[in-house]
Amino acid sequence: MKNFRDIEQISSYLDGQLSLSESAQLESRLTSDPELGSVLKEMRAARGLLRKMPARRAPRNFTLTRKMVGLKPPLPQSYSFFRLSTAIASVLLVLTFAANSLPRIGMGGAAAPVQSFATCNACGGGGSDTTGAPAATEAPAIQAPSMELVPAPTQAEPGASADSTRIGEAPTAEAQLQKEPEPESAPQDQSRVGAEALIPLTWQIILLVIGLGSAGIAFAIHQNARKKWS
Amino acid sequence: MDESALIHAAQNGDLDSFNTLILHYQDAVFHTALRILGDEDPAEDAAQEAFISAFRSLSTFRGGSFKAWLMRTVTNACYDELRRQKRRPTTPLEPETQDGDEMDSPRWLADPNMTPAERSEADELEHAVQHCLDALPTDFRTVVVLADIQGMDYSEVASAARVPLGTIKSRLARARLRLRECLRGFEELLPSSFRLEEERNS
Repeated sequence: MKNFRDIEQISSYLDGQLSLSESAQLESRLTSDPELGSVLKEMRAARGLLRKMPARRAPRNFTLTRKMVGLKPPLPQSYSFFRLSTAIASVLLVLTFAANSLPRIGMGGAAAPVQSFATCNACGGGGSDTTGAPAATEAPAIQAPSMELVPAPTQAEPGASADSTRIGEAPTAEAQLQKEPEPESAPQDQSRVGAEALIPLTWQIILLVIGLGSAGIAFAIHQNARKKWS
Repeated sequence: MDESALIHAAQNGDLDSFNTLILHYQDAVFHTALRILGDEDPAEDAAQEAFISAFRSLSTFRGGSFKAWLMRTVTNACYDELRRQKRRPTTPLEPETQDGDEMDSPRWLADPNMTPAERSEADELEHAVQHCLDALPTDFRTVVVLADIQGMDYSEVASAARVPLGTIKSRLARARLRLRECLRGFEELLPSSFRLEEERNS
C-alpha cells in the first residue's frame, strides 16, 4: 500500500492537475514501481465507472411558478394610496370612539366618591340604631338639633349656652340635608354629558364610509392586478 | 442560449428567464442530487428546493461559473435533506421478491430500449456503484459526484463545495481510494477492464 501522498498525486495526475515537472517525476516512478502503476490503473477504472454511470434525466420539469417563489403582482401606486387612507380612516375612527368614551369614564370616576359618601351617611345613620354605645352617644348630637331645629328661631333668646352649641351644629346638619339631593342630580349630569359626544356621530359615519370605501377599492385593485398577473 | 443575459434578466425578477436556465440545467441538478442522496424521491425534492432557493438568492451570484453556483445550491439542499432523513428515518416501500425480501434492483426503472439481460447487468452495476457512493462520507461523496460524475474541474468543485482547492484534491483522492476498495466487492459485476487489473495484481 502506497502512502497517501502518492495516492493524492496519482488522483491529481489522472485529472491533469499536476505541473509538468510533477507529472514527469510521477511518470518515471510509475515505470519503475509496478505497485504504483496498478494503483493508477485501478483508480482510473473506478473513475471510469463513475463517469459511465447512466445520466438520469429529470423525471419532470422543475420550472418555477410565481406562487412557488412568492412573487407578488406589481400593484399600481393608487393601491398604496387607498390602503393608506383605509389605515388612517380606521385609526381615526377608533380614536373618535376613544375620545367620546373618555368623558364618561371621567364622570364615572368622579361620581363614585359622591355616591359612596351618600351611602356612608346612610350607613352612619342606620348604624346608630343597631350598633353599641359609641354610636349611640354620637346619634343624639346629630339627631337632636334636627328635632329642635324648627323651634330654634323662636326660642333663640332664652336658649343660653347649651343652645348656642346646638345652633352652631344646626347649619352643618342643614347643609347635609340640602346636599342630600345631589346624588340624585349627578346621574342627570352624567347622562347629559353622555348625550353631548365630543366627536359627532356624523364624523364617525364619514370616517367609516371612507375606510370601507378605500378598503373596497384597494381590494378591487389587488384582485385586478392578480388576475392580470396569472 | 445567452446564459449571462438570462441570469441578468432573472436577477431583475424575470421568472421566465430563470425557467429557461432551469430547463437547461435540470438534468444535471437532478442527477447530482440523485447520486448524493441515492434515491429518486428525495432527489426530486432537493432539486426543486435548490431551484427555488437559487431564484431567491440569485442576487448573490457575482459572476463566474453559473453551473458551479447552482451545484453549490443543490449540494446544500442535499445536505438539508440528509439532515432531515437523519432526524426522521423512513422505511422505503420497495418491491419485494416472492420470498418477501426487498429487491436489490427495482425493475420499475427499466429502460425499454435495453434487453432484459443488459438492463439487469446495467442496473446491478449502477446499483453497486451507487452502493459504494453511499458508503462514502457525505463530503467525499459530494466531491466525487461533482468531479467524476458531473465532470467539473477542481476550481469549480472548490467553488461549489466551498472548500479550498487542496481539500478538494485530498478528498477526491481519499474518495477514489475508498471506491476502489468498495468496488472490489462487486468484482463479478465490473467490466472486463476493471477485472483484468484485479487478476493481474493477484
